[in-house]
Amino acid sequence: MADKEATVYIVDVARSMGEKRHGRSITDLEWAMQYVWDKITTTVSTGRKTANVGVIALRTDDTSNELQDEDSFANISVISHLKQFLMPDIRKLQNAIQPSHTYKGDAISALVLAIHMINTHCRKLKYKRKIVLITNGTGLIDPENVEDIKDKIKEDNIELFIFGPDFDDVEWGVKEEDKDERKALNEKLLRELANDCPNGTFATLENAVANVDIPETKEVRIVPTFKGHLSLGDPGQYETALRIPVERCYKTSVAKPPSASSFVSQSGTEAGQEGGPSATQEAGQGDGTTNVRTSRTYQIDDESAPGGKVDVERDDLAKGYEYGRTAVHISQTDENITSLTTYAGLEIIGFIDQDKYERYLHMSQVSFITASKGYKKGSLALSSLIHALYEAEDYAVARLVIKEAKPPILVLLAPYMTNDFECLLEAPLPYTEDLRTYRFPSLDKVATVSGKIVTEHRNLPTKSLQESMDQFVDSMELDIKDDDGDTVEGLPIEFSYSPVLHRIQSAIKWRAVHPEDPIQEPSAQLTRFSHPEEDLVAKSKQELENLIAAADVKKVPPKTKGRKRNREAEKPLSGLDVDALLNLEPKRAKISPENAIPEFKQLLSRADNVDTINDAVKQMTDIIENQIKHSLGDANYERVVEGLGTMREELVDYEEPALYNELVRDLKEKILGEKLGGDRKELWWLIRKGKLGLIDQETSERSEVLADEAAEFLVPS
Amino acid sequence: MADDSYAREEELNEEEEVDESSFRAVKDAVLFAIDVSSSMLNPRPSNNPKKPGEESPTSAALKCAYHLMQQRIISNPKDMLGVLLYGTQNSKFYDEDGDGSADLSYPHCYLFTDLDVPSAEEVKELRALAGNEEEVRGILQPSEEPISMANVLFCANQIFTSKAPNFLSRRLFIVTDNDNPHAGNKALRSASTVRARDLYDLGVTIELFPISQPDHEFDTTKFYDDIIYKTAPSDGEAPAYLQPDMKTSTAQGDGIELLDSLLSSINSRSVAKRSIFSNIPMEIGPGLKISVNGYLLLRRQEPARSCFVWLGGETPQIAKGITTLLTDDTAHTVEKSEIRKAYKFGGESISFTPEELSSLRDFGEPVIRIIGFKPMSALPIWANVMHPTFIYPSEEDYIGSTRVFSALHQKLLKDNKLALVWFISRKKSSPVLGAMIAGAEKTDENGVQKLPPGMWIIPLPFADDVRKQPPADFTVAPEPLIDAMKQVFGQLQLPKGVYDPERYPNPSLQWHYRILQALALDEDHPGEPDDKTIPKYRQIHKRAGEYVLEWSEKLDALSDKMFGGSPERSTLVKRGPRDSNGDEGSSEQPSKRVKTESGSSDIDGDIKKAMEKGTLSKLTVATLKEFLTSHGRAAAGKKADLIERVEQYFEDKS
Repeated sequence: MADKEATVYIVDVARSMGEKRHGRSITDLEWAMQYVWDKITTTVSTGRKTANVGVIALRTDDTSNELQDEDSFANISVISHLKQFLMPDIRKLQNAIQPSHTYKGDAISALVLAIHMINTHCRKLKYKRKIVLITNGTGLIDPENVEDIKDKIKEDNIELFIFGPDFDDVEWGVKEEDKDERKALNEKLLRELANDCPNGTFATLENAVANVDIPETKEVRIVPTFKGHLSLGDPGQYETALRIPVERCYKTSVAKPPSASSFVSQSGTEAGQEGGPSATQEAGQGDGTTNVRTSRTYQIDDESAPGGKVDVERDDLAKGYEYGRTAVHISQTDENITSLTTYAGLEIIGFIDQDKYERYLHMSQVSFITASKGYKKGSLALSSLIHALYEAEDYAVARLVIKEAKPPILVLLAPYMTNDFECLLEAPLPYTEDLRTYRFPSLDKVATVSGKIVTEHRNLPTKSLQESMDQFVDSMELDIKDDDGDTVEGLPIEFSYSPVLHRIQSAIKWRAVHPEDPIQEPSAQLTRFSHPEEDLVAKSKQELENLIAAADVKKVPPKTKGRKRNREAEKPLSGLDVDALLNLEPKRAKISPENAIPEFKQLLSRADNVDTINDAVKQMTDIIENQIKHSLGDANYERVVEGLGTMREELVDYEEPALYNELVRDLKEKILGEKLGGDRKELWWLIRKGKLGLIDQETSERSEVLADEAAEFLVPS
Repeated sequence: MADDSYAREEELNEEEEVDESSFRAVKDAVLFAIDVSSSMLNPRPSNNPKKPGEESPTSAALKCAYHLMQQRIISNPKDMLGVLLYGTQNSKFYDEDGDGSADLSYPHCYLFTDLDVPSAEEVKELRALAGNEEEVRGILQPSEEPISMANVLFCANQIFTSKAPNFLSRRLFIVTDNDNPHAGNKALRSASTVRARDLYDLGVTIELFPISQPDHEFDTTKFYDDIIYKTAPSDGEAPAYLQPDMKTSTAQGDGIELLDSLLSSINSRSVAKRSIFSNIPMEIGPGLKISVNGYLLLRRQEPARSCFVWLGGETPQIAKGITTLLTDDTAHTVEKSEIRKAYKFGGESISFTPEELSSLRDFGEPVIRIIGFKPMSALPIWANVMHPTFIYPSEEDYIGSTRVFSALHQKLLKDNKLALVWFISRKKSSPVLGAMIAGAEKTDENGVQKLPPGMWIIPLPFADDVRKQPPADFTVAPEPLIDAMKQVFGQLQLPKGVYDPERYPNPSLQWHYRILQALALDEDHPGEPDDKTIPKYRQIHKRAGEYVLEWSEKLDALSDKMFGGSPERSTLVKRGPRDSNGDEGSSEQPSKRVKTESGSSDIDGDIKKAMEKGTLSKLTVATLKEFLTSHGRAAAGKKADLIERVEQYFEDKS
């Protein structure tokens, strides 16, 4: 469990904070709040009751705090006491944080107040205590008692952060010219204060805000996914079996973005159109929205029923499986009849050579296997296995059952060691059924139709292409730098952040604070690896140019893809001219319904004028309409979709989009007008799904239909 | 119904193999057309003394079809399979059933298994036919008059047209030993080529499984080169120059060998090639793009989920669930288009418009963009979160893609390098940072491809996906102990030191379907499962036993020396004095059993004694639990349950 947290933010709202300086487009206060909002919303998004936040405004017009009886605490207002921050607190804070009309108010007093707040709230309990002070340092700061404050911060183990706009910061490289004398003095005081605290940080605001962009990764509690024995041999049968007690937990596991809940606006009108996007109240609580739930009903096929289906009651249903198209019912007493009897364990099957393992066979996430804690002998035994694998350059293959009656998986066990840690890394391996045997032609030779193997071919690189590629690859060797500019060994995994996860999270945080503003672009951190670095591109420019020249790659213009007019006829392997034979079959001028698609295509391929195409389309349309009319329920729908799709493809290829558009307009009217044997809405849904609507200009140059019109055509009216 | 489709559409996961550009259903239909002539029925004895038995080409083909049928029920439960026999004396087609006399649409064509998702009954029938069982043997009577291939092909055409409309993949598997069916008849021959062209235009691919006769090599140039086209027009994904390699796949040999070679040839084409994305640009550098297709060659095959079965009728029927969205308060039906999404935040909901929501996931058009290269050694063995994507070049969008891809492939293989890529597989799918590595082509001893040449993109974990290491004891083993361990596994290499997935069928998946098959066909329980993943215990004992004992002695000695003064502490169980001193030798019967955990050897003994005396109930729950856990058994529940499970354990062992 994460520790309880108590963080107090002290924000300077003096009149001077409302000014824009040094050519910045935002005021100092707005700038400061970028940091504060990010931190607060990050805390809110955890949803943790034990992550508490308090806010103090410094240099306010009035005074409102527990210690206000003393003069030194004037012009300080507690906006929020320490508590779990929720949306109303965010709204309250938004209204409260405005530049004041005063310059009065003592930052050190605010610190004392913050310490006091933390003390009252946390008492002696275990908390992560933190104070963040942001001020421009222009006011009068009373250095009295500073030493006592340092001691108190030390004693309470409070983390202290002090930031300010244009504070001098050697590390970050900021130095304000012509700095106001008092500000310089205050900066010195605050810097010393922070530096004298064991957990103190003093930095210029720019530095703090820049770090806001770096996504925070969430630490997940370690939970073992298996506790049992790593064994070699069967201890039940043989005295020579070896067993080591081990635990398994994840090394990698994909962090998912938060999931959204569904709702609709109660009135049933389009929710988004009323007030635009906004942070709404709890869904279903008087804000005109209501949550959505799902309900399931069940149907079976029944040819005698209208529509071919009837509803059945949930209570009449039992559990079962499909074997082919046969339903196999499993009675409750036999519930586990199909599962294999297994017992938990990690059993070594054998060993393989590291260099003969194909890395792409890893099937999913990787886990740590460590010796169970407290068994030193076990960790010694496991260590000998880890080192032996490492030295012999082997991996072990093992059978893992994580719990009794769970299916066994085969896993790879690889040795892994650092200076103070050793383990096996476990990666699941594929079974026979997991590997699909699609075959692909060789990439370094080409087999011709006659069976000859050639090594020179348009699909194979020439010597000069290969050389250019070699040089290009060498010139693009990555040199990855970490935040400090040091070269990183290996791949940049620790600097790459899940783009979708963090984008959604920051959008939620942003909208919570800025309900009326549009969402922001993704932060540069998230797309850092979306393009090669400019330096690298510049460095390999020449090699790339050579490669492009040697590759001679030509883009196929989209509109000539698969163009059929005047193309060469398709021929079988022998090259026989089948079209000539087809021409000898006179009866094929009329498309027969049972062989419609081939005959339609063949008619088109022989067409020498538009009339023939027209006629073919007309015949085909009649056949399709007949199929619809005589379809029992949805029986013919897939055939109709295939016929329609074929016509669409062919007419795009033959550059006659108008013919298709005309027929599909007509067909839509007939289907929705129930002129083809009653309610055929489901067919229209299938046509929509297959995107068989109008051919637009993007698909065919000759079309007069715009993309918008084509899209609208498919929308149900 | 329409709602149901909506729901299904929503469930479409990013992984799903959908061809967005096509209106066709991503399904595969395979129709076997098996020649039943007297030469095909003639049993061929096996020449291999190790594998005796005889087999006729027809029965080998039927066995293959049966095998494929069973396999596809598991791996492609939505795909169809049919078996058409031709050249038979009898004919059968939908509502026609005749003996070869007049007025048949397709004489001498016997549609034995209609093209459909197979039913249990059809599995049983095909098995009977393949097993040459009495009651069905009569079907395999060769016709006396010559048959027309044009007729057979049109028969297949009609089956595909009516039973598998709009399928993305439709394949006709012809198994025959007759390389020239219409040698003397030009008209019949040209009719066949026309019917073959119809099939081609319909989008049906013909795959030929030729069988050579003992005295005659099958010659495709005589007839079949006029029948078979390079690729079906709908199969836009197949590389343009991919030829059916009939030369290598001609089934030869006798008896069982024939069956084996036919089986491997059919297996290698059992799955229709389906891409997960096609023609997306691979940006090698700014200004240099090629097009590639992506395939899921590795994916965990899970048993189909359980479903609801309606038992009200004569036969059990599968009930389809239909999901309707309702408002929570008034239970009004809600259209998908009305739904808005919101996130919980600070006790309230933060909402976005659908456009905003979708733009949050939008990081640009699909692309594979190379951002640099690194040595393979930079890829840690742990950097993995899911299966890889296989990619292969396509000439569709960029002419010359294949040669550029090939050059890159060869370079990465030669220098053992990887490319770091920014990878968006389809619009609005999450971008990943991937390691793209080159995979070399691997073939088996017969030259059949086992692993294809191409690139694999391994999605890397993001910083968010990497977990910290668990706390663990850190005791580095001294060199002698390591050496002793090396001795142990030096004896236990898997064949050739390689992991070969083909040797390990998924035991729980196979078992699940074997039981279902037995239930569906009302057969006896199949007895013991065949589980290839269970280690070969006897072999391990024989080969490595001695070395394990040596290692164990060293371990005991070292452990005494290193931790001897401070006996192991465990909060779990009381342990015997012998064990806590780490002194195994002092007990009456020195146990050689190699165990590194303390205490449990005692527990095993205690439990066994208690079991014999019937005093299990006197043991503590902790002891029972530790015993069960150490034997891989569930250890949750009340004491009575635990005792029952301990008893079960000894029952299983006896």
